[in-house]
Amino acid sequence: MAEQPTIEVADLTKRFGNFTAVDSISFHVDRREIFGLLGPNGAGKTTTIRCLLTLIKPTSGSIKVSGINALKNPQQVRQLCGYVPQEVSVDGDLTGYENLLLYAKLYGIPRTLRKGRIEEALKFMGLADRANSLVKTYSGGMMRRLEIAQVLVNQPRVLFLDEPSIGLDPAAKRMIWDYIVRLRDGLDATILLTTHDMLEADELCDRIAIMNLGKIVVTGSPEQLKANLGGDVVSIATTDADCASILSQLGYQLLARSSNCNCDLVINNGEQAIPRILEELKRHGVTAQSVSLKRATLDDVFLSYAGTRIDESETTWRTARLTRRTIRRLRQ
Amino acid sequence: MTAAARMLTDIFTITEFELRKVFHDSSQIFVRAIQPLLWLVVFGGVFGKLRVLPGGSYNYLQFLTPGILAQSVIFIAVFYGITLVWERDLGLLHKLLSTPAPRSSIILGKTFAAGVRSILQALLIFLLALVIHVQLHIDPLSVLGVLFVIILSGMCFSSLSIVLASLLKTRERMMGIGQAITMPLFFASSAIYPVDLMPGWLKAVAIVNPLSYTVDALRALLVTGNYSNLPRDVGVLVLAVAILVTLAVFSFRRIIE
Repeated sequence: MAEQPTIEVADLTKRFGNFTAVDSISFHVDRREIFGLLGPNGAGKTTTIRCLLTLIKPTSGSIKVSGINALKNPQQVRQLCGYVPQEVSVDGDLTGYENLLLYAKLYGIPRTLRKGRIEEALKFMGLADRANSLVKTYSGGMMRRLEIAQVLVNQPRVLFLDEPSIGLDPAAKRMIWDYIVRLRDGLDATILLTTHDMLEADELCDRIAIMNLGKIVVTGSPEQLKANLGGDVVSIATTDADCASILSQLGYQLLARSSNCNCDLVINNGEQAIPRILEELKRHGVTAQSVSLKRATLDDVFLSYAGTRIDESETTWRTARLTRRTIRRLRQ
Repeated sequence: MTAAARMLTDIFTITEFELRKVFHDSSQIFVRAIQPLLWLVVFGGVFGKLRVLPGGSYNYLQFLTPGILAQSVIFIAVFYGITLVWERDLGLLHKLLSTPAPRSSIILGKTFAAGVRSILQALLIFLLALVIHVQLHIDPLSVLGVLFVIILSGMCFSSLSIVLASLLKTRERMMGIGQAITMPLFFASSAIYPVDLMPGWLKAVAIVNPLSYTVDALRALLVTGNYSNLPRDVGVLVLAVAILVTLAVFSFRRIIE
């Protein structure tokens, strides 16, 4: 039988007054897995992470990390875990080296190991030449790298990353993804991350749970979830008004938005299906003027399970922070 | 490592890094000394001419200096909670709380750091007082006593500030409440005039005001040399620190919710 999951969450609920931030969710994360909580802002992802890290007390439910009950032994759980919050959490008034030293001390890393590990982590993250500059002079990407360096120093078994690449440019994003995979492989760590970035979830996560309005609406691997949708969408445009009826006679599944001349059909392995479809249409005397293929994305998955789109373009980290602050003020 | 040893290590770690921050930007100590300096030189200089002190063998500036020392400590400590609110907004506090260090160590570390930081502040005022020739009673024992009292009152008012920050949660409100309470704390104490001169109701406030005991202790150590009330003063401060730090540890979780 498979070994015990590293993280086990059952019926976790967190209410703030009348507002239910997390609504009876259950999931598990296996050892060495990269598990993503995917959802829009306000879905309850951060609250979930904070409950797991014992930063806030859940209203009800149970949490086990490496078999340890997080509600009964929070300090033991914290000793195992590493955390990179969504907000930049390095101290600008300290140097890069000092930031790492502070946390190495608080995690009880033995004095004999500290210096070596810190220097190695700074070098690995390309920050060695800026180690003694105050962090407030760093760029956003460098600050994120410093946070990851800190994880390298403390070498946690379980790692929580809250929106690890939020607010970074595409190149820096790729770099962070690369480091996250290396963290898993190098430290043999189990990673739970939150994101509202579909691409990030797709590229990085072994399994994801889609969260909306405090609930987990579906869990599975990105491939599995996309396959569940039925596959890719092939759009065919013709001048022939019979196109739609011919396609449905042939047994293809048309989307409701199709018209007589513009047909959208759902199909597995769209790339390979296109020549066959065109062939069949030709046999019925229909010539296609254009064909396009849209591969199923996690965005479609989210749309079908949550009923809305995660609007990526609007939610920059700035608005995310603003929302958060407003929510906090409203809660008082 | 035993739990107690671990706790002490954590407290000193947090203190160490708070102080490193101060040293990275030591100009703040000088900027923050401007207001106490004005009190000492301008207010002390003018008010001293009124000769309001009943009897006594020391002049007004001597009387005032311990009061201004105490003021320089509390005016900063009372706003300490703002730093925490700021660190919460930045995410620093969440990360600090996700370390294995217990909450009590974090609070004790932060308040102790505020206390030690107060010493740097007080030291500057102390030097200023010497520069303007205020006669102070200085020997190793009284200096140690002064440092001890200053750390205690720094801890006392910074933990009060943490309690307030846990309840008020925003920087704006903290600024407001800080400004609202510093002056009453200052005026309802023996910092700038003797308690005996106060009307009855103000006297009552002064008696429950920890600042009065800070000033009284500093004055005994630096000016009068009469140590008879010292055990009482230090006792009250220790008690106030114990109560406020405990309150801060328990109210602290509210700041991140």
